[in-house]
Amino acid sequence: MSTALSHPPLLPLAGEGKVRGIFRMFRMSRAFWLILPGLLLTALVIGLPILILIWTAFHEVSRFGVLLSFNGFANFADVFADPLFYAALLRTIVWTAAVVLGTLLLSLPVALILNEDFAGRGFARLLILLPWSVSLTMTAVVWRWALNGQSGLFNHLLLQLGIIDTPIEWLGTAPLAFMVQIAIAILVSIPFTVTLLLGGLSSIAGDVYEAGAVDGATGWKSFRHITLPLLKPFVNIAIVLNVIYIFNSFPIIWVLTQGGPADGTDILVTYLYKLAFKFGQLGKASVVSLMMFAVLLVFTVVYAALQMRREET
Amino acid sequence: MLRKYLSSILLATALCTGTAYAGDVRFVVPPYSSETEPFFKEVERDFEAANPGINLVLEFTSWETLNQKLTTDIAAGSPPDLALIGTRSLTDYAAQGVAEPLDAHMTPAFKDVFIESFFSPSMIDGKLMGLPFAASARAMIVNTELFEKAGAKPPTTWDEFMGAARQISKLPGTYGFGLQGQGVEVDAYYFYALLSFGGRILKEDGMSALNSPEAIAAAQSYKQLIDDGATQPTPTSYGEAETFALFKQGKVGMVFTFPMLIPQIKKEAPNLKYEVLPIPVKTTSATYGITDTLMMFSGAKSKDEAWKVIEFLYQDKYRAAFDEREGLLPVTKAVAASDYYQKDPDMRAFTALLPVAHFAPLIPNFDQIADITVRALQRVYLGEETSEVALNRAATEIDVLRKK
Repeated sequence: MSTALSHPPLLPLAGEGKVRGIFRMFRMSRAFWLILPGLLLTALVIGLPILILIWTAFHEVSRFGVLLSFNGFANFADVFADPLFYAALLRTIVWTAAVVLGTLLLSLPVALILNEDFAGRGFARLLILLPWSVSLTMTAVVWRWALNGQSGLFNHLLLQLGIIDTPIEWLGTAPLAFMVQIAIAILVSIPFTVTLLLGGLSSIAGDVYEAGAVDGATGWKSFRHITLPLLKPFVNIAIVLNVIYIFNSFPIIWVLTQGGPADGTDILVTYLYKLAFKFGQLGKASVVSLMMFAVLLVFTVVYAALQMRREET
Repeated sequence: MLRKYLSSILLATALCTGTAYAGDVRFVVPPYSSETEPFFKEVERDFEAANPGINLVLEFTSWETLNQKLTTDIAAGSPPDLALIGTRSLTDYAAQGVAEPLDAHMTPAFKDVFIESFFSPSMIDGKLMGLPFAASARAMIVNTELFEKAGAKPPTTWDEFMGAARQISKLPGTYGFGLQGQGVEVDAYYFYALLSFGGRILKEDGMSALNSPEAIAAAQSYKQLIDDGATQPTPTSYGEAETFALFKQGKVGMVFTFPMLIPQIKKEAPNLKYEVLPIPVKTTSATYGITDTLMMFSGAKSKDEAWKVIEFLYQDKYRAAFDEREGLLPVTKAVAASDYYQKDPDMRAFTALLPVAHFAPLIPNFDQIADITVRALQRVYLGEETSEVALNRAATEIDVLRKK
């Protein structure tokens, strides 16, 4: 709310002094009243569940969500005493970092190529963006069958090409399954990231490069000293948004391994799901939700700050 | 205050989505196979034709998301009227006061429809909390063609079973035993061995028996088969569907399974030659069984209408159709006496195992106990821990839950 009010006025105001001050206050309050219904609705839809969540976290909760008694920090203590929580937390960090960085490293060259003028560019862009239109769960289900050790298409292909000579069980052991899941998550994150970066690239005016070329900046130099700095705000936003999406991304891991084998691919969100809906420990689950919410809130604030800085420049 | 807001929001949502009219009977059904949905749709059509004014609303959800769906529905204050659940979850529902006792509705004539012994799992503190809906005792199915090719004999003892598994695995691209190591029922797949070794799931005092010598030896024998290459490689990537798919493709010689696999084989792999046999015996002739329960919720909005649905559903015509199409064992007398269950050799082989079947224990937190068991087994199958270490720890963790 305070950000909305401290935002600079949309139109420059003419005149000086008292009149301007009153006029400005009027404008501000008008803006405030105009956004008030929206704010209230948002507070109701977003704020209320969070309040209930906090309330729940401090109670003993029955399997079916009935609050039994206030129990202070007992749920928190339960979570912190659970070795599975720490394992899932560590894995969540690895998962988020690997997927976000991997996505960026792959998306940047793809975006650069798609930004060049070449025959069939439109088609190439379409191909890159197409996977975006498929539901994540469906993608994961297809991969699950494709990665099946004995009858999966993926092994079949590798065998036919002579790359491997015995089928590999991609999802049978936790470390390999986790790497496969990271790779799939990177693949499905590319369309969005490429789109974002393409937007950034198209905002860089051509004459900047021409000026650079006059000074002898071509190829790598031009990329390093012109493209990358000008693209930086978009890269930052891509990182922050991807962190938010990936951190609590559920379908890929759940569909492929359900956090198994032996809980070796559990991240916080799958651990949370098991707590809440398999074990019926809703109190503990709301604590984990709260922690995840806090992390995501930090990244959301960072995103909002980045966005505002971009609007101001 | 919060509650009040919450309930008004929920009420508004319910009104908007239009799912909660009086006279509606909401029935949550987790499908057993692709036959389940068409079957229940037929029941819906016939029931509504016979009972004008009552609208049967079927909600299908997978077994894996069933608990999640019911939990959220109950927590939101709008439980369905009826649901099919695994009997092992009934204890939790009854303990939380969510299940409606059915004694008041039962008439002697209606009670007489059922095979008496199936009532006992649903009797909690002397009250009938649900009706038996489906039962399955598990057995071994072997691919007779693969046995012939390998020159092996279908096993009756556990040692013969281990030998046959190794022998069949010598055939190219073939594995002796399909071992399920992922997803729901990894624990059940191990209980077959556990029970055959003379082990128990729980001790007399209700504590976990997974650390008994029999239990450890049973897990060890599965691990031995994995190490010998007598199962498909890395069983921990094979859920129920994937394991049975291997059998339907003719790639494994033996699987332990419920009768539901039979109609699937007949439909999807009609040329497969198979035989249904008892679980091989180490020291004890035994098998594991599962029952499912039809329950009514204490928060149900249309209890009388829901009971009409129940009575309708238990007519012989529908029970016979359901049991046969799904390949389940009968829970009602009339269906059990029918030709299909008396004469069909596959079904007779399964039914014959009922007397030695151990059913899932009715204890609270069963799902969490199952999860602990599965995690320990997966560690054993992956070779991360010996069966002794893994099962000892699992037993300790389970005992903590049992003492709560």
